[in-house]
Amino acid sequence: MGDIPVRLLSVGTALPGPPVDTAALATAFGMNQVWRQWVDTFIGTRTRHLAVDLSTGERRESLADLGERAAAQALARAGVSAEDVDVVVFGTATPDTLMPATVNVVADRLRIDGVPTFQLQSGCSGAVQTFDVAASLLSIGRYRTALVIGGDVIAKHYDVKADLTALPPDELVNYVLFGDGAGAAVLAVGDHPEAPVLRSVLTRLSGLGRAPGQTLRWYGLADRDGGEAPASEDYKAIEEHVPVLAEETADELLDDLGWDRSEVGYLLPPQLSVAMTAKITERLAFPAAEEVSCVADTGNNGNALLFFQLDRLLPAMARPSRAIAVAIESSKWIRSGLALERV
Amino acid sequence: MTAAISRDEFVDLLRDEIGLAVGAEDLGRTFDEVPGWDSLHLLTMLVLLEKQVGRPLSLPDFLDAASLETIYELVNR
Repeated sequence: MGDIPVRLLSVGTALPGPPVDTAALATAFGMNQVWRQWVDTFIGTRTRHLAVDLSTGERRESLADLGERAAAQALARAGVSAEDVDVVVFGTATPDTLMPATVNVVADRLRIDGVPTFQLQSGCSGAVQTFDVAASLLSIGRYRTALVIGGDVIAKHYDVKADLTALPPDELVNYVLFGDGAGAAVLAVGDHPEAPVLRSVLTRLSGLGRAPGQTLRWYGLADRDGGEAPASEDYKAIEEHVPVLAEETADELLDDLGWDRSEVGYLLPPQLSVAMTAKITERLAFPAAEEVSCVADTGNNGNALLFFQLDRLLPAMARPSRAIAVAIESSKWIRSGLALERV
Repeated sequence: MTAAISRDEFVDLLRDEIGLAVGAEDLGRTFDEVPGWDSLHLLTMLVLLEKQVGRPLSLPDFLDAASLETIYELVNR
């Protein structure tokens, strides 16, 4: 980043439909008590929101719908109009279409035009990557106000007629871990003394020689009957590597800033599942930090997660205080994090 | 009383439907010693066992089980 302080003015979020608890998910897929007990014990996610109607398979909202709602809320909360936005950055693994990019559909609906827009093809580190790109452009004085958005909609991978008892574990796990949603934030330079300052952002590809932990395929006319699973997850590799990468990221942020662990008042840990997040939070061992998590209520909604955590952090963040967020993408392994300070 | 599932049927289910490379001689091994074992296998196994024995099972009854043999005994209890 450059020398000009970048501040987080506001956050907005959007979730599709009512919360779907595990009992409702079990009923929809004809699963029973033992399945519900397993999700409660080993995943821990209480509810998730889905852009697909479980009873009909009909898609209720697109990523552009959710992104638009989240972004409009963030802009309204910041008191920023569409004309004030100088640059838009969107992160997602599940764009509505490969072209046009969802960022441009959302910008159009918000009446944002004539400015640079970028879409990052990203996973759970995507929100931090949008911050990295936007903050880099703001902190060198090129722009004053950025709208960053992240979200995912897994409806196309959510076959409501699937027989979950017949799915291999690496596909089954996707049905219980994930949810849909979008989030957005307004970052700006200038006179906003009440807004937290973005002290540091880091994103590090950490996948040298390492097989992907998560794979999401897309198909065209010629290869759509290829037989490969559209979405699969090496959950054992994820369990093994994510806690290590999270710790490396937190340590690097603290070292760069010269912050002591005990000076951090809020920790926003990776949101894989309630069970995994609890393990990682314990490992990160911030003695005085309040944990800010959302995955129990939202499910793992990928590029949106950090925005939901920030939405909970912002109204609660004391003055003065410091916060650290860590996110890990397990596809080709990207570790990422950011640090905020309210002074 | 006839067992709800025979030992051979149990091994077949583990091998053919869950994909674990085990034989009857491996049932007494602890889960640490079963190649590739994880909590998702426990779920898949219990869901399939329910179908086979025709009665609902409860996960908490199986969480303390240390081996496939213990699971086999619990299902037949």
